[in-house]
Amino acid sequence: MNASHGEPPYEPAANPGQQGAAHPPSPSGQGHGGRPPGQPGQVPAHYPPHQPPSGPPAYQADQAFAPGGGLQWSPISKRHGWHRLLTAILWAIPIGGVGAFIVWGNGGLVPAVMWVAAVGLAVVLAWLLAELDRRTYGYVERADDLIVTHGVFVRRLIVVPYGRMQFVDVTAGLLERWMGIATVRLHTAAAATDATIPSLPTAEAALLRDRLAQKGEERSMGL
Amino acid sequence: MRFSEGTHRLHWATVPLRAFIFLIIYFVLLGFPLLLTQTEDGIVLALTPDVLARFLIVTIPMGLIAVGTGLWTWLALRFRVDGDDLVVETGLLRKNKRRIPLSRIQAIDLVRPLVTRVFALAEVRVELAGGERSEIALRYLGRHSAQQLRAELLALAAGLPGQTPEAPERHVWRVSFGTLLASLILRLPVLGTSLLFFASLLFLLMYAEGGILAVTIPVMLGLIRAVIAPLVMYANFTVAMSPDGIRLRYGLLETRMQTLPPGRVQAVSIIEPALWRTLGWARIEVTVAGYAGERQALSSTLLPVAPRHVAMHLVSQVFPGTNIDAVSLIPASSKGVAIDRADGAGTDDVVFVARHGWPCRRTDVIAHARAQSVRLTVNPFQRLLGLATVHVDAPPGPVQVAAADRDLGEARAIVESTARRALAARRSGGGDPTRWAR
Repeated sequence: MNASHGEPPYEPAANPGQQGAAHPPSPSGQGHGGRPPGQPGQVPAHYPPHQPPSGPPAYQADQAFAPGGGLQWSPISKRHGWHRLLTAILWAIPIGGVGAFIVWGNGGLVPAVMWVAAVGLAVVLAWLLAELDRRTYGYVERADDLIVTHGVFVRRLIVVPYGRMQFVDVTAGLLERWMGIATVRLHTAAAATDATIPSLPTAEAALLRDRLAQKGEERSMGL
Repeated sequence: MRFSEGTHRLHWATVPLRAFIFLIIYFVLLGFPLLLTQTEDGIVLALTPDVLARFLIVTIPMGLIAVGTGLWTWLALRFRVDGDDLVVETGLLRKNKRRIPLSRIQAIDLVRPLVTRVFALAEVRVELAGGERSEIALRYLGRHSAQQLRAELLALAAGLPGQTPEAPERHVWRVSFGTLLASLILRLPVLGTSLLFFASLLFLLMYAEGGILAVTIPVMLGLIRAVIAPLVMYANFTVAMSPDGIRLRYGLLETRMQTLPPGRVQAVSIIEPALWRTLGWARIEVTVAGYAGERQALSSTLLPVAPRHVAMHLVSQVFPGTNIDAVSLIPASSKGVAIDRADGAGTDDVVFVARHGWPCRRTDVIAHARAQSVRLTVNPFQRLLGLATVHVDAPPGPVQVAAADRDLGEARAIVESTARRALAARRSGGGDPTRWAR
């Protein structure tokens, strides 16, 4: 093999670290008050752990889904559960009605009642799940990234750096608009990112979108 | 000829080529049936003057249409380099102009399908980040002018003047045909399938039972797909390094010359099937943001097979300043229960490495500067055991980097440290690969 390490053909890391370390924390004077007080990004907790950790090192197992740095999860609106319940009911009415009619025509009254009961049970289950889901949802804007956590069965914690956001969109369906809530979705170049915050009060969603867009612009870069 | 000045068109031979292809399709679908006559004893091919006249009446206008459309498309497409943009204009009546910032170029491919080799033509494909429709294909340019255009576009994208001569390249590796063939066969699924194929063939010959064809034919098709297709596609694979990127050349029938500019590779996977490990071979697959959809699958291979040290050398060229083998991997928690056992994960200042898989071992590598987001997931099984999986997300592609089955607290520490390293890597300039020569 004639692969000599002559000159590095790639762009050399001309000034690694210097500018990055001296990078001033961007001004937070836009009056939204969304910036958390702590700067959790400052303490270098080293991984792999055999290096001497300086500062708060490993997380406890029960702290794995905590926001960290003395921050609190911002919850989503309590209307999340009601929104899901209403959606479920709107689906359940035609399914329950048409299904019950067909079952009633074929099998009589008792199976029809059982069908309606099953649909009703599904609605209640959907509502219960949505309510549990709402309790697990939380997001925090940190100095350099947004973290979102949610999930009833599979728990998730997603860290999206502001510099990686391609765009932020806010969507609100008819029902959502009527209830005064909206969904904020963050898009990065990775399809797997899936950082979605549903059921935020409309005003809060707009403010969050503006803050995220601004922070994204400050730190934006190519792929 | 300089592409950075003036407006340019495709090669004139595109017109006859397109007309020719159009006429072939016409002949198969319509022309040939016109030559046939229906008689009492069935359909016969009889070239009577009557039939010939009928054939010519249809064929001559069709030929004119073919030449006309070829000429039209040739006249309609113009391209030029305007400042930092490549401008492609199409249409004569309805004009359509596309401006492509050169700094967005993810890769430039030179493709030479079999047909175009007669005319010494080549297709230039410019891949951009994002979306299915984000490629520009210039079909076809002369072979030399295609290379010239490629060199000029890369020079301009790198921030050099367009007159810069093509960057010199340094040969790295050539995959010999025998090695490629052996590597394609020496895989457990392929060996198992061929065993099934020969067994069914034997059964067919011994018992003359046609029903077994239902097994033989799909198995044969699978083998063709797994062995013959890659063999034709990746034959004569050569890798070379140059200042404007990694250059790959390969193909038996359709030759391709790919150029991946520095910093365009998002993530890398080093794949070592069980049998290859004893021979010390490895394969490299990459995620490049430009190739979306099916093109991703077509051109995700950086090296079909090579000795492991060559593969590692190439990876260290892709992610400069690191050595994957030197990254110490922390083994996953012993409580994990997956068959596809995670070997471990580790990180240094440049890359995050996760190794997993049995019997086929995959080592997934992503540069911190390229990481899009970091995720922590705990499925119900893992929650019982107090484990978690850390994903470092790359743009869609063949490489998914995930450190499975870490202890919960440790997983969160990995998430935080990865996020911090990614931030540091992006700030130190590793995140913006445009204008790499400036």
